[in-house]
Amino acid sequence: MEPLYGLLDMLVLRTLVFGPLHGYGIAKSIHSSSKESLDIEFGSLYPALKRLEIKGWIVSKWETSEHNRSAKYYRLTSAGKKQLRKEHSQWVEFASAISRVMGPGPEGAE
Amino acid sequence: MSLLKKLAYLLPARRRAEERDMQEELRSLKEMAEPGELGNLTLVAEDARAVYTWMWFERLGQDLRYALRSMVHNKTFTALAMLSLALGIGANTAIYSFMESILLRALPVPDPKSLVVMKWRAKNFPSVAMSISPSTGGTHTDPSEGWVGTEFPYPTLKLFQSNKDVLSSTFCYFVTESLSVTVRENTDAVTGQYVSGDYFRGMGVRSSAGRLILAADEKVGMEAVAVLSYRFSIQRFGDASRAVNQSIRINDKAFTVIGVAPPEFFGAEPGYLPDIYVPLHANLLLSPATALAGVAQRYQDQNFYWIEVMGRLNPGVSLAQAQAVLAPQFHRFVEESASNERERSDLPELMVTEGATGLDSLRRHYSAPVFVLMGMAGLILLVACANIANLLLARAAARRREIAVRLSMGASRLRVMRQLMTESMLLALLGGALGVAIAAWGIRALTLLLANGRDNFTLHAELNWTVLNFTIALSVLTGLLFGLVPAIHATGFDVMPALKQMRTTMLAGKSRRTRNSLTLARSLVVTQIAFSFLLLVAAGLFLRTLSNLHAINLGFNREGVLLFTIKPQTMGYSEPALNRLYTDLQERLNKAPGVRSVSLSVRPLPTGGGSLVPVVAPGAQLLSGLPSAGPQAKQVGLLGVGPAFFETMQIPLSAGREFNEHDATGSPLVAIVNERLVKILGMDAPVGHMVAIGKTSYLIVGVVRDAVFMAIRDDPRPMIYVTYLQNIRPPAQMTYEVRTLGNPLVPRLRSSALDPGNIKS
Repeated sequence: MEPLYGLLDMLVLRTLVFGPLHGYGIAKSIHSSSKESLDIEFGSLYPALKRLEIKGWIVSKWETSEHNRSAKYYRLTSAGKKQLRKEHSQWVEFASAISRVMGPGPEGAE
Repeated sequence: MSLLKKLAYLLPARRRAEERDMQEELRSLKEMAEPGELGNLTLVAEDARAVYTWMWFERLGQDLRYALRSMVHNKTFTALAMLSLALGIGANTAIYSFMESILLRALPVPDPKSLVVMKWRAKNFPSVAMSISPSTGGTHTDPSEGWVGTEFPYPTLKLFQSNKDVLSSTFCYFVTESLSVTVRENTDAVTGQYVSGDYFRGMGVRSSAGRLILAADEKVGMEAVAVLSYRFSIQRFGDASRAVNQSIRINDKAFTVIGVAPPEFFGAEPGYLPDIYVPLHANLLLSPATALAGVAQRYQDQNFYWIEVMGRLNPGVSLAQAQAVLAPQFHRFVEESASNERERSDLPELMVTEGATGLDSLRRHYSAPVFVLMGMAGLILLVACANIANLLLARAAARRREIAVRLSMGASRLRVMRQLMTESMLLALLGGALGVAIAAWGIRALTLLLANGRDNFTLHAELNWTVLNFTIALSVLTGLLFGLVPAIHATGFDVMPALKQMRTTMLAGKSRRTRNSLTLARSLVVTQIAFSFLLLVAAGLFLRTLSNLHAINLGFNREGVLLFTIKPQTMGYSEPALNRLYTDLQERLNKAPGVRSVSLSVRPLPTGGGSLVPVVAPGAQLLSGLPSAGPQAKQVGLLGVGPAFFETMQIPLSAGREFNEHDATGSPLVAIVNERLVKILGMDAPVGHMVAIGKTSYLIVGVVRDAVFMAIRDDPRPMIYVTYLQNIRPPAQMTYEVRTLGNPLVPRLRSSALDPGNIKS
């Protein structure tokens, strides 16, 4: 399953809270922290990184990876942290609103 | 932040560096991932690049390319639409450029906004103002203000000048009728302006050669100096710098040219270009000796309103502040100048008004016609818009399938509308560009038409930035006007029926939408016809007036007759010598080659103005010297003419004879009347009878047909002609009528008119 439209940015910001990561690492991290239920298309992720970078929420730097390879690492900026807090609280509100509407179980379904 | 980064991305070097960096990053990630895990990396890079560019900008490019393609595809439509738009926009641009030059343009001087023009207003014509100089025409009635005037008595100049804290300079000018200017033995009547010493300094203009008039030049006893207009200096000296320090004669008095005004400068009144500027006090030098005392008196007279006063505000002083300071001072001044209760009851009040665009007599005369023309040009453009909107509607029907396909493939309605609007805008802007070319031609044609042969026509309408901005705005508005409704219309339908219908039958006539678009098209056609009809009627009326003016029977033969007026006193002729000069000149012109006959009159027909007098018909009382009881005609035109006047003007004689050389001082007073006067006075056989103008009786020697006297639009009025040779004093000016065979040769006439030099005194 793919994340809902517009939520990818939030997920990327959230993933970078734990430290700088390169593009492939971000995709892997989201995949694993969602217990392998969220598949991130690289074709969506990479433009999203560029978008966040242009907005000044993340910055990038060439560094050497754990396998001694050169890779571009993305790091959260303070503006990015602020944005993440904002999106997070919005998401909590949104999610609880949806769950209130949907109820505990699929009673009328099937 | 993001804007800066996007802008930086527009730089090619920056763009290349970014691209290299991205490719390297993608390569490094590809090495980490499983083969194929990252998907189509070319597409990824493309999507990432899009982040750095503006989508609307890219789409605009697409839309424009597509619009161009569809324009090329529909050549006939494009050509028709662009042509009608170009005509509409061109006409509007041309008229607007005239409007701009007449109504809006500021004087070509530095900081025109700080200039002010002094005016006064009163409920009625203020009786405290004894005489107002008629030459400038600044006094007029205004519906909201009552009477408004721009002339002031000379002592007020000193009054305004004393307010140095409000006005950094106060200056005045006075327009002359005409001056006889002699340059290198060649004399011409040119328009001149008397200016106060601070005039050029206050206007803030710099000379293009030599220096301009200063306050010191105004002092009595100084060398007589003059400043030429740039145009005049080129005409007479070939070059501005060559005119400086040259001696010229003005009204036969020696003057020295001290400088030349800048080329763009025309004084304070648009449409009126003085050729020569002289200090105000030079009018003492230039007036005929008989009028000198009166002219000198003007400088003291508090009730003689004659100078136009302007000023320049000090920085930071507003119009209202200047008004608050100056108006009470002027009020005290007029109060003191009033000498009785009647005068005190309606004193003029001062109005300090904006002077950036100069004096407004031209604007007053032309603003109504210009607005009418602008309105008509606007209607033409509306007709063009309706026309194109209609064509677009028709085309939308043809493009229905194309639009349906785009909509069904997921294009949003707004996106398709934007595409259609882009096409309309492109069309409008291209039409506008073509319109500018048409306007450039139109402005030249209109200038020629308005100038009507005058070479000193000063209305310089041109395509400047104000006008071009207007054109651009007009084009955009036009594009919106004709594009929006068809665009909304073309995209608002159900896609599926349209697709099916198109594919199966290609029949478009039965759906509701089509009926709607037919209604719209019909109402557009109705609007178009209504506007066109309105324009046609208006144009018809204009043409009718024009042809009526052409067809007016003036009462004389206007073909092949040349008129010119001389004022010999300005060149030093004494009064007793005048009549001798007039007859002598008539004889000499008569001998010139190609001349059939020559006559002269105190004023020219039909526009020279003249006097209106009451005329009394003969009665028994007349013989006893009390001419009052007979039939009377009021408002009879009186014109003094010379021998052979009716022969030269070809006004037919219906009875009697015309004036000859023997009707002169000493012989009985004679008159010629026209048929209208004969009818009013009820005379049967007027020749040989007497008529009286006031208390003076004349013997009628002839009757002539009616002719237009004062203005072309006037009906011929009752006329009485007398001979100037029997005037008590010789007239100060004389108009010659020269009837020639074929085209009159002005230079040849000019040389035969030259006084051999023995008449002057």
